[in-house]
Amino acid sequence: MSEPGPKQDFRYPLHWRLMDGVERLADIVWPRSMARHTGWLFIAPALLLVGLLVLGLVQIADSSLRVLDTATFLPSEDWSLTNYEKALGTKVYLTVAWRSVSAAALTTVLTLILAFAYAYALVRVRKAWIRKALLITLFLPFFIGQVVRAYGWLIILGNSGMVNEALGLIGVAPMRLLFNYGAVIFGLVQYMLPFAVLLLVPALTAIPEETETAAGSLGASWPRIFWHVLLPMAKPGLIGAGLVVFTLTLTDFAVPAMLGGGSQDFIANAIYDQFFRTADQGLGAALALMLVAAGSILVGLVFMVFGAGTLAMGGRK
Amino acid sequence: MSRSQKITIWGLVWFSIITLSLPTLVVLGASLTAGNMVAFPPQGLSLQWYEKIALARDLQQAFLRSLIVAAICTAVAIPVGTLAGLALSRFRLRFTTAIQVYLLLPFTIPLIGSGIGLMLVFGQWHVLGSLWPVGIACAVINLPFIIWSVSSSAVLLDPDLELAAQSCGAGRVQTFFHVTLPAVMPGVITGSLLMFILAMNEFLVSLLLVDARIVTLPVLIYNSIRSIITPDLAAVSVVFIVIALAVIWLLDRLVGLEIFLKSK
Repeated sequence: MSEPGPKQDFRYPLHWRLMDGVERLADIVWPRSMARHTGWLFIAPALLLVGLLVLGLVQIADSSLRVLDTATFLPSEDWSLTNYEKALGTKVYLTVAWRSVSAAALTTVLTLILAFAYAYALVRVRKAWIRKALLITLFLPFFIGQVVRAYGWLIILGNSGMVNEALGLIGVAPMRLLFNYGAVIFGLVQYMLPFAVLLLVPALTAIPEETETAAGSLGASWPRIFWHVLLPMAKPGLIGAGLVVFTLTLTDFAVPAMLGGGSQDFIANAIYDQFFRTADQGLGAALALMLVAAGSILVGLVFMVFGAGTLAMGGRK
Repeated sequence: MSRSQKITIWGLVWFSIITLSLPTLVVLGASLTAGNMVAFPPQGLSLQWYEKIALARDLQQAFLRSLIVAAICTAVAIPVGTLAGLALSRFRLRFTTAIQVYLLLPFTIPLIGSGIGLMLVFGQWHVLGSLWPVGIACAVINLPFIIWSVSSSAVLLDPDLELAAQSCGAGRVQTFFHVTLPAVMPGVITGSLLMFILAMNEFLVSLLLVDARIVTLPVLIYNSIRSIITPDLAAVSVVFIVIALAVIWLLDRLVGLEIFLKSK
């Protein structure tokens, strides 16, 4: 009397057995009793990877405390604050720092104006193909990289560039359009625009069109709607975008190097020169650490006053 | 929209469109010139500069190195970023604020600081001079991008789905690969494409971490720019334009560009 059970040679499909094996392995490597800590297991690799940056900062701090011995060209054994005194006492660095800060402020304002209009158009436009075209126009330069874009500007604005050649055709003498403050600002605004738009869009999407209609039907003109409705509601996005644009501009290297032609150095260029031209690593490290500190204090202050805005990661709803 | 509003908004948008696109279009045009210099008006069309760069060994090798760096960066960032994005959005961790601030370090530390720090660290480990540290460095400095993409997909996943899978007998690994991972896939794809293209284009950190023997393509272009602008660099730049277009096309096909228009 045999029951019609499974045949002796029946086997489950291979991938079932494999999966069971993997599950058992997982139970051994990370037992269920550890489930409370799975979140930490998941985040550990990221913490380690970013730890490289912390190690880097420690290294920078260490070398910033060592003075370059001009006789042997080796960093000193003992620590001192000489490099910081030198950095703060040198007038060139104050000029460079002031240029970076003012350029960052100007770029932030200009970029936010352009980005707000762009993001607004992107969110409110009705036709799908226009929206797609606007998105592609935005992503293409974002994905091309700074060097190639700056190279494009060199072709356009150079002494024998497109604009000057075109002006020459109508009899205007060549002008120096590159290697000045204006060119650097222009290049920076163009570079930052995609970042700003992408950070503003989520904030603008969250504003229902009806609020604007409502304000309008109550008699507000569009500048008033913009000032009293859109701007306050978009504040988290504006703060996030403004902060990113300001800090990225403040610390940019490529645009001042390529469009400023050495006459418009920012802090990053000064730091680079200390490491690779003057070879005074200690002084360069001191400058780098001061830049890191300034940036972090700024970000920290904005976060404390306004919250992380659209920059928060993985926030629960 | 009122008339004046339309004019103001679209006036600004058109200005943005022109400034965003002009360098790309000009580089494309310059690469096709028949002359020996970039001149305006153009001196006829030819593909001679593409022929020239196709034969240049240093350019090919720099391009290959950039691809390797981007591949390493993406390969590192996908698992690390996906797991971190999931951890931040689907698990209750203590000290979440502190972790967030810590994981934003790649953005809050200026690139020149990160680059020099990593240069000193890798230098001390005696690994400078190979490409993988450059790839790792690119993964570190852009890590927040992939964490953002993944966690914004992950908050949309209903936790009940995972519980349902488990109550149907799926183990933890199975639930992860058949429920959790497919749900965050749009975020993973977006994040990894971003990581790839950003590493491909990375300039400053590459400049700090490479030496003359292993220059990547953006560094090579930067080093080759002289006062006279020759069209071969324009032809090389077109390679970047083509790659950027390919990534945009992929992004649109796989997840849709509109993913960036979501509210937060």
